Order: sequence, then C-alpha cells, then structure tokens
Amino acid sequence: MEFTLLGATAIALTSVYCMLWLEEYHDKTASHSRKLRDLILPATIVGLIAGRLAAMIGNGVNPLTNPQEIIILRAGVATGPAATAVLIWIAWAGRSKLQTLADRLAPAALAGLAGWHGACAVRDTCLGTPSDLPWALTQHGSSVARHPVELYASLAYLIIAVALIIFKPFPSGFAAGAGLVGAAGIRLLTEPIRPSLDGGPISWYLAGLLSGVALIGWVVSRSRGATLD
Amino acid sequence: MQRAIRLVVSLSIAITACSASGIDTAALSELPLASPETITELLTLSEQPVVINVWASWCIPCRAEAPLLDKAVSRFGEVVQFISINVRDSQNSAKEFIAELLAETNIEHFFDQHGAVPLALGGSHGIPLTFFYGPGGSLVKLHFGVLDERTLALQIDELLARS
Repeated sequence: MEFTLLGATAIALTSVYCMLWLEEYHDKTASHSRKLRDLILPATIVGLIAGRLAAMIGNGVNPLTNPQEIIILRAGVATGPAATAVLIWIAWAGRSKLQTLADRLAPAALAGLAGWHGACAVRDTCLGTPSDLPWALTQHGSSVARHPVELYASLAYLIIAVALIIFKPFPSGFAAGAGLVGAAGIRLLTEPIRPSLDGGPISWYLAGLLSGVALIGWVVSRSRGATLD
Repeated sequence: MQRAIRLVVSLSIAITACSASGIDTAALSELPLASPETITELLTLSEQPVVINVWASWCIPCRAEAPLLDKAVSRFGEVVQFISINVRDSQNSAKEFIAELLAETNIEHFFDQHGAVPLALGGSHGIPLTFFYGPGGSLVKLHFGVLDERTLALQIDELLARS
C-alpha cells in the first residue's frame, strides 16, 4: 500500500529533525541547525523527484509522455541520482557556508537513513538473504530465516550519526566526508545480503565512498599543512 | 530567461514527438481468456513457482511496475513461471500495453473481462495485485498495490527457497 511508503518517509524525516535537535542540544554553537531544518523538506522533495525521474528513464519510460507515473514512487526511486540531487540542492541553497552546513548535515542525513531503513517494518521489507544466524527473522508463514538486513543498516547508520555528534570537534569537512563514507559504505556492505533483481546500484555506492574518502584525505592533508605552517 | 524557457519547451515537444508512436496491434493475437477454473488448474499442475500479476492498461501503477516485472522475468524466467492477467479492460488496450511495455518478456498473458480470477484467488477488485505461488499452487504471498524491486526480489527468493 502507498501509505506505508509515506509512513516510512515520515519516520525518516522525523529522524532527521530529531538528530538536528540533538546536535543543537549537544553543541550550543550549532547556529546553522535552523537553516538546515528549512532545507530538509525541499531537499527531500527534490531528491524524490530526481530519483523517480532517473528510475523511469532507466526503465525505458519517458517521463514527458507519462508524467502521471512520476508520483508512483513505490515503483522505484533511483538511489544514486536522488542522493546526488539532494546534495546539489543543499550545496546550492547553503553555498555561502557550505562546508559548515555539510558537517552539520552529515549526522542528520545518517539519522534519516537510519530512520528510513528502520521503517522497514512499516513497509514489510526488513528481510534479506537466507541466514542461519540466531537473530535471523522469518516472513509470516515461512520457515526460511533471513538476515534482518535493513535493521543492520539502520543500527549502523545510527551509531555513526551519534558518533559524529559525540566525538566532536573534527576538522572542518571531516564530518561531511565521514558521512559520505558511512552512507555509501554501509550500503555496499549490506548489498550482498539484500535481495535485488540486478545487484543494486553498486557504482553509485562506490562513487559515494570514494568521494568521502577523498574529502577526508583532503581535510587531513589540509590540517597537516596548517600544522606545519 | 525567455530564451531558456523557449528552448526547454521546444526540446520537450521534440522529445515527446520522437517517442510518441502508434502501436499496431492488428498483428498481435488475442489474449486467451482466463477463468478461475483454468488458472486454478494451471497452478495445481505447475512444477515451478508461479507469479501472477493482475493489471489493466488504464492502471497507472500497473504501468509503473511493468519494467520491474520485465527485469524479474529476464533474471528468473527459467525457474519461475510468470503469468499476467488483464482485467476489466479491452483486448486492444491490453495488447497495446503488452506491445509497449512487455513485448520482449516471456510472460504468459491472459484476459479476464470481469475480474473474476483475482477474486477467486483471494484477491480484491483493486489493482495491481501480485500473487506468489509455490509449486502445486500453494499461496506464499499476496501483494496488494505496486510492487517495488525489494519486495519482488524477496518474494521470488522466498519462492525459490521453498521449492
């Protein structure tokens, strides 16, 4: 049912706003949280539209001749293009203080991912490939135990998000890089145990991971340069 | 700004014109009629898992999930039997839909004018509907609404794990 997708989106957005509040509570100098709160909803809409358009085009459906299918989000939202569109939107909207905003956004974005994956129970999509592990779960009426892969991802995202708030301060740009590495890395790690028709958008995850690593590398080298000076 | 708008509108018209094509359904054969009895017998005699998708050409979500089914058939068509049942529609519209979205796909298509089959199988009037059956016709899952890739992949995996 479509309302389960809406419910999961609401949970993800609530997670984002909760993490922004937590960040503000933990760090009283987090003066950009209000600006981030104003960016989240339009960024989400932009990402969903971009991801849906990319999925339609990827499936050979012309969005110009079939505009009514754009709103059928359940039929597929391409993760990579959606995430890219969100990042571009945030970068454009927060261009005056981009690096600071990106650092503030990283924990909230990871919390949103944690909420989205954790809301798998609402959408009945928690399960992955078969598993003999003691915590493996079964679908109703089934005897096949499976990895609760979406719950693994949700927990991992939450841990990284909280760590990025608790273990401050970081050099400017580090949290953003770590967020990219975390977001892409967790998806890469869980993809092999997640059921898929075509193996998932691995190239997008790799691109995100490499971008995050490159950003962290740049931040570290810049910090060392500053130290030497 | 006006130049940009004119360019976007011109490109949109051009793309729309290029992609708009009349589908000639005269050469396509009529979809065989389905009844609860024929489908039930087909399920009972099946030695493979069976996925039955119920759709109509006027159903926008059905159009949205067709490419996913196409992908699933390409990957699992050798080990899973895919059946599509067009309901409350016309033969011409159904053939147009198939020619446009499922032409290359190895799916067995049926036509059910009054939508009796999904009701007899335990479904509802709402579409799209997808039934997942194990070999011999044991119902594993009935999915209401549009299929997403994860659900489709998981349920097919469940069918294969139980086979």
